[in-house]
Amino acid sequence: MSGAASALFLLDIKGRVLIWRDYRGDVSAVQAERFFTKLIEKEGDPQSQDPVVYDNGVTYMFIQHNNVYLMMATRQNCNAASLLFFLHRVVDVFKHYFEELEEESLRDNFVVVYELLDEIMDFGYPQFTEATILTEYIKTDAYRMEVTQKPPMAVTNAVSWRSEGIVYKKNEVFLDVVESVNMLVNSNGQIIRSDVVGALKMRTYLSGMPECKLGLNDRVLLEAQGRTTKGKAIDLDDIKFHQCVRLARFENDRTISFIPPDGSFDLMTYRLSAQVKPLIWVEAQIERHSRSRIEMMVKSRSQFKERSTATNVEIEVPVPSDATNPNIRTSMGSASYAPEKDALVWKIKSFPGGKEYMMRAELTLPSIRSEDAPPERKAPIRVKFEIPYFTVSGIQVRYLKIIEKSGYQSLPWVRYITVAGEYELRM
Amino acid sequence: MAPPPAYQTQRSHSSSPSQPSGKSEVSDLKLQLRQLAGSVAPGANDSKRELFKKVISYMTVGIDVSSVFSEMVMCSATSDIVLKKMCYLYVGNYAKYNPDLALLTINFLQRDCKDQDPMIRGLALRSLCSLRVANLVEYLIGPLGSGLKDSSAYVRTVAAVGVLKLYHISAATCIEADFPAMLKHLMLNDRDAQVVANCLSALQEIWSSEASSSEVASREIDTLLSKPVIYYLLNRIREFSEWAQCLVLELVAKYVPSDTNEIFDIMNLLEDRLQHANGAVVLATIKVFMQLTLSMTDVHQQVYERIKAPLITLVSTGGPEQSYAVLSHLHLLVMRAPMLFSSDYKHFYCYYNEPTYVKKLKLEMLTAVANENNTYEIVTELCEYVANVDIPIARESIRAVGKIALQQYDVNAIVDRLLQFLEMEKDHVTAETLVLIKDLLRKYPQWSQDCIAVVGSISSKNVQEPTAKAALIWMLGEYAQDMADAPYILGSLIDNWEEEDSAEVRLHLLTATMKCFFRRPPETQKALGAALAAGIADFHQDVHDRALFYYRLLQQNISVAESVVNPPKQAVSVFADTQSGEIKDRIFDEFNSLSVVYQKPSYMFTDKEHRGPFEFSDELGNLSIGESADSVIPVERVEANDKDLLLSKSEKEESGVSGNNAVAYSTPVHDASSGPLVALDTQPVAQAPQATIAIDDLLGLSFTAPAPAASQLAPPPLKLNAKAVMDPGTFQQKWRQLPISISQAFQMAPQGVAALTTPQSLLWHMQGYSIHCIASGGQAPNFKYFFFAQKAEEPSTFLVECIINTSSCKAQIKIKADDQSSSQAFSDFFQSALSKFGTA
Repeated sequence: MSGAASALFLLDIKGRVLIWRDYRGDVSAVQAERFFTKLIEKEGDPQSQDPVVYDNGVTYMFIQHNNVYLMMATRQNCNAASLLFFLHRVVDVFKHYFEELEEESLRDNFVVVYELLDEIMDFGYPQFTEATILTEYIKTDAYRMEVTQKPPMAVTNAVSWRSEGIVYKKNEVFLDVVESVNMLVNSNGQIIRSDVVGALKMRTYLSGMPECKLGLNDRVLLEAQGRTTKGKAIDLDDIKFHQCVRLARFENDRTISFIPPDGSFDLMTYRLSAQVKPLIWVEAQIERHSRSRIEMMVKSRSQFKERSTATNVEIEVPVPSDATNPNIRTSMGSASYAPEKDALVWKIKSFPGGKEYMMRAELTLPSIRSEDAPPERKAPIRVKFEIPYFTVSGIQVRYLKIIEKSGYQSLPWVRYITVAGEYELRM
Repeated sequence: MAPPPAYQTQRSHSSSPSQPSGKSEVSDLKLQLRQLAGSVAPGANDSKRELFKKVISYMTVGIDVSSVFSEMVMCSATSDIVLKKMCYLYVGNYAKYNPDLALLTINFLQRDCKDQDPMIRGLALRSLCSLRVANLVEYLIGPLGSGLKDSSAYVRTVAAVGVLKLYHISAATCIEADFPAMLKHLMLNDRDAQVVANCLSALQEIWSSEASSSEVASREIDTLLSKPVIYYLLNRIREFSEWAQCLVLELVAKYVPSDTNEIFDIMNLLEDRLQHANGAVVLATIKVFMQLTLSMTDVHQQVYERIKAPLITLVSTGGPEQSYAVLSHLHLLVMRAPMLFSSDYKHFYCYYNEPTYVKKLKLEMLTAVANENNTYEIVTELCEYVANVDIPIARESIRAVGKIALQQYDVNAIVDRLLQFLEMEKDHVTAETLVLIKDLLRKYPQWSQDCIAVVGSISSKNVQEPTAKAALIWMLGEYAQDMADAPYILGSLIDNWEEEDSAEVRLHLLTATMKCFFRRPPETQKALGAALAAGIADFHQDVHDRALFYYRLLQQNISVAESVVNPPKQAVSVFADTQSGEIKDRIFDEFNSLSVVYQKPSYMFTDKEHRGPFEFSDELGNLSIGESADSVIPVERVEANDKDLLLSKSEKEESGVSGNNAVAYSTPVHDASSGPLVALDTQPVAQAPQATIAIDDLLGLSFTAPAPAASQLAPPPLKLNAKAVMDPGTFQQKWRQLPISISQAFQMAPQGVAALTTPQSLLWHMQGYSIHCIASGGQAPNFKYFFFAQKAEEPSTFLVECIINTSSCKAQIKIKADDQSSSQAFSDFFQSALSKFGTA
């Protein structure tokens, strides 16, 4: 990375400094705070909300997490992307320590925060950001001092993301295949953009140094092995792996082999840009009766196989911001008016495949509109859902082998789920 | 660390009421600490920890707890690592403001640096180096030296960065203790990857800031970029942490492979890095690929194809800030090669909830990738944004539609769309569209009929924004003959002259009324009279002057007035581009940095002392251009003005005139000789030799060999183009791409060295031999030049780096050539030209 960061700030929601670590001594906290509070005040102005801003020789890069801002300051021509990635990693580290990163958890743990800030970066250069490794340097109160300190193993270890000597009574692995569907449908009902972003999320509770091997129904692999593809084989577009996966090995023969870190991590992510049929289709008919009343009829249809069921479906239908007195009826689920979103929110707990439900609503509009009311923003219909035991891509885990030299038996658990990502249907 | 005192008082008010702010709590703490200091009772450490924690949280919320300094130090004489850490933290915070206290802690830290626990050794060393107190540096040398040799990797990583910290406190001490050499040894031999990485970042920083003054350092930088080092690091790349991998990749991007095989080897080795989960690694790898293949057009294109998917995935995963950073880079690539992305336009469609900064970038990319095949769909999508989303984006979208129209694709349909925008009757949409239609008409006058019909129906009352109003008025004037009520609309606008705040609008109103008058005199006469009267009475100087000017023109001769105010116009073919290609290239060179996000090169937003590690790729960077390395401006200037000089040369030329040889630099002469640098294609360089001689005579260099002599010296095989030109950007790029074909050192004639009082004296001389200087710099005894020359009959060029040491009378040259076969001939020619320097 070119250039080094000058300081890392943790700020509260109003932009006041909670805690900061000065790495190079060339930026001032007072100045940073003054600048940042001003920046946050301008919230209404969307032009000024870039996450990378320049002020008086200093560049500030920030991200928000809950009610905390994490901000990097630098005077050099730093690697912006890399530092933003770094900040997100810092959030992960904090979450590992405090369960959740928020103002309160920081205030309760000043000492640990300082220790962490010291180890993740030195003089503006990122060092270790693997939570499991950092645990060895930093002993929170949960870890009382017992045995004599050994030098942290990871540093001298060939496998930097896992330390030796981990022991579990019951050896288990949980693998979640999560696919999130992004969908954009225009007002004519045409799909103009769709893609699927998938992730294999793993939680490992394994002893020792287990060697894992994962088999997927990857077309390239199956064809290379000369197998006639019985089931469905799939093409994965752009695969990215956790650093524990031996990339060279994958390049050679498409085997996914790795020694996993302890705890949870994303083993692999991928993207499919193939055209996907909208899993849940929503249509809205809107009738405006003069200026006083608006009538809506919303139809939703599930377009997947009957044996699957979507759960926690939430359909957000936008209504004019000055609408009142909603009168809503649904053939399934419940719907309510959410004025803060200027929308009707229709919730359906369970939505089996191949079904169609309706919602009718009537709202009153004021007969007089104020002159300087902001022009109406035509928002799209937005849908949220989860479909368990189902993947759009058809990805399948064929096997997950775990081999450890002690030869213990371990239990791999695999789950599939599809969720809605950015799922928009324009009206 | 906690903030400095001034800031602390302010903070203490905002902290929650339960937190103490008074002195009593602090003195209470002091007492308790003192009681515990010597205690070895069981549980003493636990109570100490509680107290220490209290101290730290007071410190953080901004209460001054510096008074318990000595107690803290006393209490931490223990083996409890948690206590130690808290104490180091405390010390690090207060030492800077209380150097006396810092001195107190030196002993205790030094002792801990020898502790048997490596954690404590490392932590103590880090705290010691972070004290930032200049008069304590002598205490750092011992612990740092042993830290670098420590058996624990943790301590060594800390020590490597520690050396860098020492360098920033006192560069001289660091160099004297020979730490850089130790770091280098460690970097090449340590088995721990993080140690290697930290050594690398420390060395990069140290050497690049040393390079301006020491030749050893600049040679060390060359070593860092040499094949053995690069290969050593590449071979270990998998051992590095993800951040360290980025560091190594950044270095590799600056490496110049000797042949194409090497390029492919490196790319094959790094191929799998594109699948790394960390986006930073992926981006760094992309940079390597792009830089390596710059000179291989077809492979370069393949690289684009290869990196597309990973980039697009990175955009759609992770938070909006990450996508923004990645999109900025994608944006840069799209702008460089729009056609390669023309089929991926759907990825740039915006979602409703995306932040404005993301949408803006996407809109720009959509505009860039539009071509015959996708324009219809892209414009349809853009039209959705005009109607749907927030106002700034609606405006941007209209502008995007307009830009696409100006790129000439499917103008017909787009004009229709634009006209539909006007029918939406939203003020901001109308305003933005009017401005665009005006630009469109300037480029495509043939559309006037369609546009005018619609524009004519817009009520000027609905248009409030000055630029939009001005556009509307311009159209009224320009197409007065086609719009039936143009004179009357103008008339009513003039009636409201007083209420019009914008001078720009009033100026346009004057001109438009004039134009209208020439076409339809009887209808407009009254309005024009009113306009001129109002204009002359206007308080705004420009408006007043223009009105008066028109008035007098009309008095003089109406037909002349018409030819002045409304001459026949030609359609605009190209609107001025806002960013030069050179700047774009520079940003591209700084791929993976803030430059890309800001869309400007780093010299525009960083100050010189923080420009970060020396950009190795810019070997020119360290030098200044041509004669700007004059003797009045000392070294620091030379090192500071670096890269930007290559771009903003013109104003520097002026400053070159002063100095001890100022007499000699008569202005015209100076201009001619700086021709190749300033106005590369306008200034003929031909006169340069004569001019040069004149100067040298004046300088008493008694140099007489005129340009023709050059051709006698070098018989036919090598004829050089006396008017060769090359811009610094091209030079830099070539220098990076070409391999060194000849590298030689030789003795210089003493009289040559004697004549070399200032770097520029040699430039004049070499120019006489058709060898042009692109950059020079340095101070006695070391001078460094970059020359180039071009063959007379073909565009093949030679690039030369020449380092002259006047004290040892040695010259060192590196020659790179397009045509390797003739480089020996050129080298001989160059040396003979150089040997004539100073002789008569």
